[in-house]
Amino acid sequence: MGRGVTLSIAAGLLCLLAVVVIGGALVAYNRLVRRRNQVLASWAQIDVQLKRRYDLVPNLVETVRGYASHERATLDAVAAARSTAIAAAGTPGAADRADAENVLTHALGRLFALAEAYPELKANQNFAALQGELARTEDKIAYARQFYNSAVQTFNTSVQTIPTNLIAGIAGFRPMDFFQAVDGERAAVQVRY
Amino acid sequence: MDPRLLLDLAVGGAALGGWFAAYGAVRLATRPADPTPAPATMELGAEPPALVSLLVNRWTVTEDAAESTLLDLAARGFVELRQPGDDPRQTTLHLPPVPPDDSALRPYERRVLDRVRGLAVDGVLPLTALTFRDPARAKSWNKRLRAQVVADARAAGLSRRRFGPTVTTALSAAALLAGVVVGLAAAHYGSWRGTEDNPGLAAGVFTFAVLSAIAGATPGERDTPLGRQLAARWLGVRAWLRGHEQFDELPPAAVAIWDRYLAYGAAVGATRLTSAVLDLGMGDRSLVWSSYGGTWHRVRVRYPRGSRYGKTMPKLLFSAAISGAVGGFALKLFGPSADLFSTGSYPGARTFALVAAGIVAGAVLLLASGGYTLVRGLADLLTERTVTGEVLWVQVWKSTSQGENQPARPWLHYLAVDDGSGDRTTAWGLPSQWAGDCHDGDTVTLRVRPWTRRVVGFAVVGHGRSRSLAEATVPETTGVAAARAGAPSVTPQALFPPEEVGQAVGLPVRPAEAVDLPGPLTGVQFRAAGDGAAVLAVQTVAGTAGQWIWRLNARGQELPGVGDGAYLAGERAVLRVGDRVVLLTLLGVARGRAAYLPWLLAQAAARAAGRDEAVS
Repeated sequence: MGRGVTLSIAAGLLCLLAVVVIGGALVAYNRLVRRRNQVLASWAQIDVQLKRRYDLVPNLVETVRGYASHERATLDAVAAARSTAIAAAGTPGAADRADAENVLTHALGRLFALAEAYPELKANQNFAALQGELARTEDKIAYARQFYNSAVQTFNTSVQTIPTNLIAGIAGFRPMDFFQAVDGERAAVQVRY
Repeated sequence: MDPRLLLDLAVGGAALGGWFAAYGAVRLATRPADPTPAPATMELGAEPPALVSLLVNRWTVTEDAAESTLLDLAARGFVELRQPGDDPRQTTLHLPPVPPDDSALRPYERRVLDRVRGLAVDGVLPLTALTFRDPARAKSWNKRLRAQVVADARAAGLSRRRFGPTVTTALSAAALLAGVVVGLAAAHYGSWRGTEDNPGLAAGVFTFAVLSAIAGATPGERDTPLGRQLAARWLGVRAWLRGHEQFDELPPAAVAIWDRYLAYGAAVGATRLTSAVLDLGMGDRSLVWSSYGGTWHRVRVRYPRGSRYGKTMPKLLFSAAISGAVGGFALKLFGPSADLFSTGSYPGARTFALVAAGIVAGAVLLLASGGYTLVRGLADLLTERTVTGEVLWVQVWKSTSQGENQPARPWLHYLAVDDGSGDRTTAWGLPSQWAGDCHDGDTVTLRVRPWTRRVVGFAVVGHGRSRSLAEATVPETTGVAAARAGAPSVTPQALFPPEEVGQAVGLPVRPAEAVDLPGPLTGVQFRAAGDGAAVLAVQTVAGTAGQWIWRLNARGQELPGVGDGAYLAGERAVLRVGDRVVLLTLLGVARGRAAYLPWLLAQAAARAAGRDEAVS
C-alpha cells in the first residue's frame, strides 16, 4: 500500500514537473516569436523610409543637373549609390544593407555640400523642398534604426540568456545583426584650417 | 403607513427617479468613444503630446498631459534633462543660456515651461523638485492646464463638451418638471397633514435647484469625428511603442536620443519608468527640496505631534496648573487610602487600597508633569532664538472644532524652514494669521521657542521664485485656502483702460468710476466723455460667490481661448480668470456694440493672466 502511494505521488510530481517545463518552454517560445516579429516589423519601417528616400533621389539629381550639369562625378556617384542600395534591399542581412545605405547617405551629403557653391540652385524652391523632405526622411530613418536596434537587442538578449537560449537553439532562433554605422562614421570628425 | 404618504413618496420618488434615469441615459449616450486602434505605426502626427494624451485616454486629461509636454519641451530644446548616475530620480533640468523662440508655444506648454523657469536656481532644477507644496495651488495649476488643453482640443475640432447647450436645456426643463411634481407631492402631503407652512414650494424649488445644478455641471469632454480618427491613429502609435519593450524602461534623460518619441510615448502611456519619475503633482512633505544657500539639496522634515507643540505660554501654564491641581486633589483624596500592604477588615478593602494606590501613582505623575511643563515652559520663554531660512512647507496643523453654525478654523500651521544647518529639520508651529504671508521658497526670519516649537515673531525677508507662480486658489468654506485667498488683486480699472473701452463702445469714455455694490461684488461704471451717460458696467467677484455668478451667467455664445472661459449673451458678457469672474453689461447708447465685447474681454484676460504671473 505504502509503496503504491509513494509511486503515485512520484508520478504525480513528475507529471506536474513536465507540465511546468512544457508550459515554460511554450511561454519562452512565444516570447521569442513575438520579439522576432517585432524585429521584422521594425525592419519593415526602415524599409519604408529607405524606399521613400530612393524615390526622392532621382528628382533631386535632375534638379541639381539643371544648375550644375558639369558636376558629373558627384551626380553619377549619387545615382550609383542609389542603385547599389536598391540592389542591397533584396539581401537578407542588415549589415550589407546598412553599408549600402550609408554609402548613399555620404553621396547625398556631398551633393548638398556641392549645392552650397550654386546660389541659384539653393534658391530653387523645388530643390529646397526636396532637401527638406530628404532631411525629414533621414530623421525618420535614424529613429527607425533606433527602434530596430532596440528590438534586436531585446531579441538577442532572449536568444542568448538561460534558459531561453535552450528553446532558441532547438527552434532555430539566431541572433540578428544591428543596423550599424560604418567605421568612417564613428571616427572623430577632423577639422582642417 | 398612511396610504396618502405612500402615494406622495411614490410620486416624488418617481419624479426624481425618472429624472436620474434620463440623466443616466444621456450620460450613457454621450460617453466618449473607444476608437479601434489603427495598425501599429511609428509615424508621428502634428498634434502636440498633451492633445494626444487627451485623445488616447478617451477624452480625459490625465497627468500624462503635463509630463509629456515637459518632455516635448526638452525635445525641442527649451530645457535639457541630464542624468548623472544610475538613478533617474537624480535627473536635473537645465535651462539653455540662449533659449529658442517661445512665441509660438501653446498656453499649456508655456505654463509648464514657466513653472520650470520659475523654480530654477541658476538655470538648474532637480526634476523631482517640480512637485507642488500646496494642495490648493497644485489643484489650481493642474486645473488651468487641463482647461487649456481642452480649449486647444476644442479649437482644433478634436473634442467637444459632453453635454451641449441643447442637452443641458433639456435636462434643466426635465428638472423643472421633476421639481413641479415633487412640489405637488410635498404640497399634497402638507395639506392632508395640516402643517402650518406648506412645504410644497420649498421642496419644488430645492429639487429644481439641485437637479439643474447637476445638469449644469459638465461631465467632461467627448469625441468628434476628427478626434476619433486621430485617436485611432495615435493608438496605432501606442501599439508600436508598446511593442518595443525597452521603451518602457527609458529614463527621462533618454529624450536626448529618442527626441519627441519619448514625449509621445509618455502621452500614450508607453513609458513606465519615465512616467513614474516625472511628477507635477503634490510632493512629499517629509522630504522636500530646498535651494537655500544657492545649491539644491533635500531636507527631511519631521512634523511634531503632541499637546505642548504650538501652545502659547498662558495655555501652557494653564495646562501645568490643571495637571498640578488635579494631581494634587487626587493625591489629597486618595493618598491616605493608598496602602499596597493593607489588610483591611471589610470585604474589598485590599482591592480598594490597590486602586487608590494606582490613582495616587497617577496623581504623582500628573503633579510631576505639571511641574515639568511649568519649568520647561519658563525655560522655553528664556531660550527664545532667531531662525532665518527658506520656507519648505506650510500646512494646516490645528483647527478649532467645528460648531453647529461655525466651520472649523485653523489656528496653527506647520511651517518647515531650512536654515541651512543640516539636512534635517523639525517643523515649527506658526500662528495661522501669519500663514498667508509666506509661500514656499520665501526667506523668512522667525523668533521661536524651541520646546513648544512655537513661532512668536515672523518676517518675510525675501520672496522666492515660486511667488511669481502663485496661483489664485479655489476658495473653500474652511481651511487655509479661505484664509490665504483674498479679494481680486487686479482692479476693474486696471483690466479695462478707458481707451480700450472707448474703442469697444464706439465713443470716448471717462475713466472708470467706482460703484457701491452689495456683498463681495466690486464694480465700476464707464461714462461717455460727452454727456456723461453710462455706457458700460463692469462687476468683478471672486471666490464662492464668483463661482455662482459664473454658473448663472455662463450661457449664450462661448468665446473659446479667452481667459479660463468666456460667454457672450446679448448685451452682457462674462469672463473667468482663475477664481475671478468679470461681468460686463452694455448700457445706453452702447447697446448694439456687443460684437466688440469678445475683443475687450480678450484684452482683459491677457492683462489679468500677465499680472498673475508677475506677482512677486
